[in-house]
Amino acid sequence: MSSTGAVSRVWGGLVAFRGTSSRRADLWLAVAAFAMVGGLWQASTSFGWTSPQFLPGPVAVFDALVTMFRDQNFLWHIGVSFVRVWSAFLISLVMALPLGILMSTYRLAGALNEPLIDFIRYLPVPALVPLTIIWLGIGEETKIALLWMGTFFQLVLLIADDMKRVPQEYVEIGFTLGAKPFRILKDVALPAMLPSLVDNLRITLGWCWTYLIIAEIVASDSGIGFVIWTARRYVKTPEVMAGILTIGLLGLLCDQAIRMAHRRWFRYL
Amino acid sequence: MTGGSHLRFEAVTKRFDAPKGGIIDVLTPINLEIDRGAFVVFLGPSGCGKTTLMRMVGGLDTASSGRILLDGQPVAGPDRRRGMVPQSYSSFPWLTVAGNVAFGMRYRNDLTAAEKAERTAHYLNLVGLTDFADAFPKRISGGMRQRVAIARSLASGSEILLMDEPFGALDAQTREFLQEQLLEIQRREAKTVIFVTHDVEEAVFLADRIVVFSARPARVLEVVDVNAAIGTERTFEVKESDAFFRLRNHVLHLIRDQTRRLPPELTEAHS
Repeated sequence: MSSTGAVSRVWGGLVAFRGTSSRRADLWLAVAAFAMVGGLWQASTSFGWTSPQFLPGPVAVFDALVTMFRDQNFLWHIGVSFVRVWSAFLISLVMALPLGILMSTYRLAGALNEPLIDFIRYLPVPALVPLTIIWLGIGEETKIALLWMGTFFQLVLLIADDMKRVPQEYVEIGFTLGAKPFRILKDVALPAMLPSLVDNLRITLGWCWTYLIIAEIVASDSGIGFVIWTARRYVKTPEVMAGILTIGLLGLLCDQAIRMAHRRWFRYL
Repeated sequence: MTGGSHLRFEAVTKRFDAPKGGIIDVLTPINLEIDRGAFVVFLGPSGCGKTTLMRMVGGLDTASSGRILLDGQPVAGPDRRRGMVPQSYSSFPWLTVAGNVAFGMRYRNDLTAAEKAERTAHYLNLVGLTDFADAFPKRISGGMRQRVAIARSLASGSEILLMDEPFGALDAQTREFLQEQLLEIQRREAKTVIFVTHDVEEAVFLADRIVVFSARPARVLEVVDVNAAIGTERTFEVKESDAFFRLRNHVLHLIRDQTRRLPPELTEAHS
């Protein structure tokens, strides 16, 4: 009886408007969602609803993945992509952090940059591929630049927003304790905005991964994007799907790692 | 002449450009003198400009004309001589209670680390939060958070505490308790306090003098000498005395007449 009570209590929280849940229930629901999609996928191939040419089953994709790791040096390709994404992301962060903070601190910086960045961030990254090749050639710089373009301009505005949301009270308390503007930024504004900053970094890192294929199909000979693109040329659908799933999985892992760090670092929230 | 007064307002005004053109007068020339160690309450209808005037003392807002002198020197910008205790966001959530209090001395190079630690402990004790030194603000009550802000400001060495409706968001019991505690601290530390509120009873209980402002554009309606009317003794029982009751009613009437008036921007849109 008591166990049914517990079940209905958890269930009640899950379906209530803005209700609550537990870490465990969340985990089980996430697993269930993956299992459901996986099950549907398996069923569609088992029962022959779709042609394996277009949609190979989970087993075929898994086999392809094993082959890729064994025979095609896939782990190295993953490493290459990983380094590209993180380099572009960190370069974006290092550039966006001071600029975004300045934009929300001094109107001059804000009024000069906001419209410009708003304009650029609406340019589709794929449309910039030809121009980037003309400017930077087909080397590593081009790939980093494309990832950077997709990330930096979004990140600046998000950081500027984080800074803008720091309560004026905190800033004024800092001033009346004798802090100068730079110390206010460092000692008050930065710690105040850090939790939402980390959240935004998590989100933009995800966006950075989504540009990987675009960056790596440009005259590339390495990276997950290259592997997917090559497999496509020979219509090796299982390998294409294995590559895509790998990107998703890496994204999921990064995201969860940052979420966990967020919970640990910001216990005070 | 600046005379001997601690804080002196000389024909201080404030005006804003109205959104639809024209000018909104917020403060008509204000002249005031505040003695060192006085507890002064700014009381007036909401939106009258009393907070603006208090912020000017802190150097967080500027006067359109006139000036404010602190010990004879014009106030130019904020510094740690005048500490701020806002109604909300008064303590930093990422620091512990002790961390918040210690933050008040972060920019004091004249103190050694040992002195800073000693002062932190002293002011934590003064506001009764020694047991909560390692707690984060999230885990303590709203009233405790305001005490953290007071301790932080005192630890930094503020001579004047600027308090902007600091107890406005608290429940009645906490509020009364903090009022008594604030008075005790203010007297023991001999600090000057400028306290903004629209709560008449709070004003009469706390103040040595109440500066009653009119509706906008604010002018000083009356400076009420509370000590002369009800004495300097402020205990819970004082609130039940006839003198307290009469003074409260007097101030209440002053304020009520003001609140009934229409906001000036509706009646006199001058340019």
